[in-house]
Amino acid sequence: MISYFNGIIILLITLVLLFIPALSVLFGEGTITKTCNINNIFGDINFVIDPISAFFIIIIVVMGIIGAIYAKGYLKPYILKGKSISSHFMFYTTLILSMLAVVTCQNALFFLLCWEIMSLSSFFLVIFENEKKETLKAGIKYLVFMHISVLFIITAFALVSIKTGSYDFAGFAPVLKNNPGFTNIIFLLFFIGFGIKAGFAGFHNWLPEAHPAAPSHVSAIMSGVMIKTGIYGILRFLSLIGTPTKFIAYFILIISVITALYGVLYAAGQSDFKKMLAYSTIENVGIIGIGLGVGTLGLIYNQPAAAFLGFTGCFAHILNHSIFKNLLFFGAGNVYLKTHTKDMETLGGLVKTMPKTAVLFLAGSVAICALPPFNGFISEFLIYFGLLNGFNMGGFFNFIVLIFAFAGLALVGTIAILCFTKAYSIIFLGNPRSNCAKSANTDCDLFMILPMIFLALMALCIGLFPQHAFKMLINPANVLMTNLQTIQILNEPFTILQIVSYTTLSLIILIALLAGLKIFLNRKVETHSTWGCGYKKPNNYMQYTGSSYVSPFMSMLKPLFKKVFDVKKPKNLFPSSAHFSLHIEDIEEAYFINPMLKFDEWFLAKFEKLQNGNLQTYLKYGLIFLALALILTIGGSLI
Amino acid sequence: MISILINLIILLILPFIMTGIIKKTKAFWCGRKGASIFQPLYDFIKLVKKDFVISKTTSFVFSLTPLVTISCIIFAGLFIPLVSGKAIITIPAGLIIFAYILGLGKFFSLIGAMDTGSSFEGMGASREACFTSIVEPAFFIIMASIMALSGNYTFESLSKIISNTGNYGALIAIFAALALFLMVLIEGCRVPVDDPSTHLELTMIHEVMILDNSASGLALLSYSSSIKMLLISSLIAKLIIPETVSFYPLLYFALIFIIAIIIGTVESSMARLRMSHVFEFIFIMSTFALIVLSLAAVRIFGG
Repeated sequence: MISYFNGIIILLITLVLLFIPALSVLFGEGTITKTCNINNIFGDINFVIDPISAFFIIIIVVMGIIGAIYAKGYLKPYILKGKSISSHFMFYTTLILSMLAVVTCQNALFFLLCWEIMSLSSFFLVIFENEKKETLKAGIKYLVFMHISVLFIITAFALVSIKTGSYDFAGFAPVLKNNPGFTNIIFLLFFIGFGIKAGFAGFHNWLPEAHPAAPSHVSAIMSGVMIKTGIYGILRFLSLIGTPTKFIAYFILIISVITALYGVLYAAGQSDFKKMLAYSTIENVGIIGIGLGVGTLGLIYNQPAAAFLGFTGCFAHILNHSIFKNLLFFGAGNVYLKTHTKDMETLGGLVKTMPKTAVLFLAGSVAICALPPFNGFISEFLIYFGLLNGFNMGGFFNFIVLIFAFAGLALVGTIAILCFTKAYSIIFLGNPRSNCAKSANTDCDLFMILPMIFLALMALCIGLFPQHAFKMLINPANVLMTNLQTIQILNEPFTILQIVSYTTLSLIILIALLAGLKIFLNRKVETHSTWGCGYKKPNNYMQYTGSSYVSPFMSMLKPLFKKVFDVKKPKNLFPSSAHFSLHIEDIEEAYFINPMLKFDEWFLAKFEKLQNGNLQTYLKYGLIFLALALILTIGGSLI
Repeated sequence: MISILINLIILLILPFIMTGIIKKTKAFWCGRKGASIFQPLYDFIKLVKKDFVISKTTSFVFSLTPLVTISCIIFAGLFIPLVSGKAIITIPAGLIIFAYILGLGKFFSLIGAMDTGSSFEGMGASREACFTSIVEPAFFIIMASIMALSGNYTFESLSKIISNTGNYGALIAIFAALALFLMVLIEGCRVPVDDPSTHLELTMIHEVMILDNSASGLALLSYSSSIKMLLISSLIAKLIIPETVSFYPLLYFALIFIIAIIIGTVESSMARLRMSHVFEFIFIMSTFALIVLSLAAVRIFGG
């Protein structure tokens, strides 16, 4: 174990070597290009670190190292059980390296190769607990979805390459810039391909299955970093086409608002906390997309403020999401490791037995709800501000779309509060609801807590000093804004963010002062049981559950969910046992994916007769094939 | 500097008086003489002097909740134009900071309620969270429409509507003010959404969330809900008092007192709604918001 761990840490620390040029690009000027010729198939491959790549490199390397440290603690019980983890760490390293290659290489063929390695290595990471049937099922679903995704990306690359005769990204640009119709089609293909990876609504179906099945550090790296390569693909495409068409911009914005709402609604409904985090990933991808949409609209209408704020908001949220989502997945991993359940309805009261995890999970929850003083607020603030600046730039359609995006973002924020207050209070607060929750008697070890502390501090620092963190967003945003007539760094967001940071700092100081005053007043504290309005014997099962917490909200939006009840009613005069559970099924899966699979099953069953296990029949097929080949060749040559 | 100080004092003192006036109005409609309008302030001081009784289920979250809630509300108040017609901190997009700082307070009040493990408080928290999710988007639509119309992203733009945009401006101001008044009732937990004078009913929302709080915790939580009421009422004042008047503070106080009297009258004259109708009531606010939006759109694009 130690040797694997040391190996991976050394490897990842060497990656820091990549970190330094990335930093220099991100904060300095220019790009770094390295051309290498691997073999004749690929030709010359350009590896370029421009500010966008540099931004992603930093996220990948930092999160990769943190994930590896956490993995040491998380995998310990598995090793004690005698599970081999060498291959797991090998695939982990492969995943990190392939992601780095994806964000730096500029050659379509090599990009696809790395993309495929990334998907495959993450597939093996997902099926770590492969003795469980549902894990394998989730893994296979993931694999299938990734290959549908790559199909679209290959098609798009092939179409562009045919038109330009080049595999190099830089060579694509002239064609994409001058043919709006062609660009739209290519964009749609890329968007579906990359959108499946990123988890946009409609293409997200693999996400809520694969994330809960994977071990926590893998869920964290997948949700925090890997799905962002899908966003990277879209960003890279936008950086090539210069000024996008209106279709592209509105498409991104509208689908992102839908994605954010869809994700957060389902997140609120889940009782499996890792699934909830997976859906919240979809929500955050939607928020990132809203920033992107605002930025592209700003480009089209030549509104530097909206474009700049939109793009910086988009980049800021990419960074912020990877920070707090990793933090939350680590917290979820701690809970899972100690209680062996992912069902939050059976938990409760963990704040007393796992105080460190509880505090850190609280920090993550506040951050993901985009509340000050944490980092999520900064990125959402930039996006909101971009939307505000964009209201008057276009016509009526633009106005209405942006207003609804604005209100939609507010709705997403409030539902996120609903969702995470539910998760936090059901998992950590109150009294334990089952023996699972009681079985957690100690907090996790230092290897699992330290990465979380680091992430929480990072979230807090970005939230408190956004004006400094903001500087790393300027260069990546400028790459997308090269076509704007007036390239300028706007001072307004800086000054506002400065005021925001002073406000949040003084907010914390006020809370501290009040707490100090409370201690100073030193009133007597008497403890009693919770007031039950006169009822003296409440038990732990009488507490509010997660599904009852969200039920007023869910019943308001009934048509959007498919509820699956599992009820065993109490019978007889002296009922012995009863059971109730509620599961919310994804509406897309229920009404689109499953019918399609059923159709496939029915259709493919028609060909079952071909495979009858009879050797003679198979020989007959061979003969027919050969005869056909012969006839077609001769016929072809005659014609 | 002096104006900041005055604003701050008003922000901290006026909520007590506003609540006092509401209580006085209710007493008047009952035919009683009623307590002094400073009674809420005396209650506050009395509660702060008391000792705590807390549930043994609770954790640090519960004891932190009142502190975080009150701090957030006070800081949110810094972004709202009060008696001088100018906010203490005037920045573009102050709306977003205002809403999200309030959101932090709400987050803590929700988990603070859930921390007791009581099913009553869970019920209250659940409803509160649900109502917010309807109120917030409507609030954002109203503010965004008004800001788009005036081309100014601060709360100052509210007063420009009625003086600069003619008849449309007046209509928009009226509908927006009505929507905000509903928001006062919803966020301030007043009848017909919630009844601040009791919690032992099945329509309990905010009052039941603070069931287990005592002493200064309870004092701070009730205080913060009064401040919230004042903040939204101040937005109404900013909206319907034209920019050009020279005696803004006077009109401001008059308007706040009128709003308090209306709230008291509403409370005395109607019963609380049944829970299922509360949703319908809140959706009235969303309707007003959409009306404001369409009026703004007509004004901007219809010529």
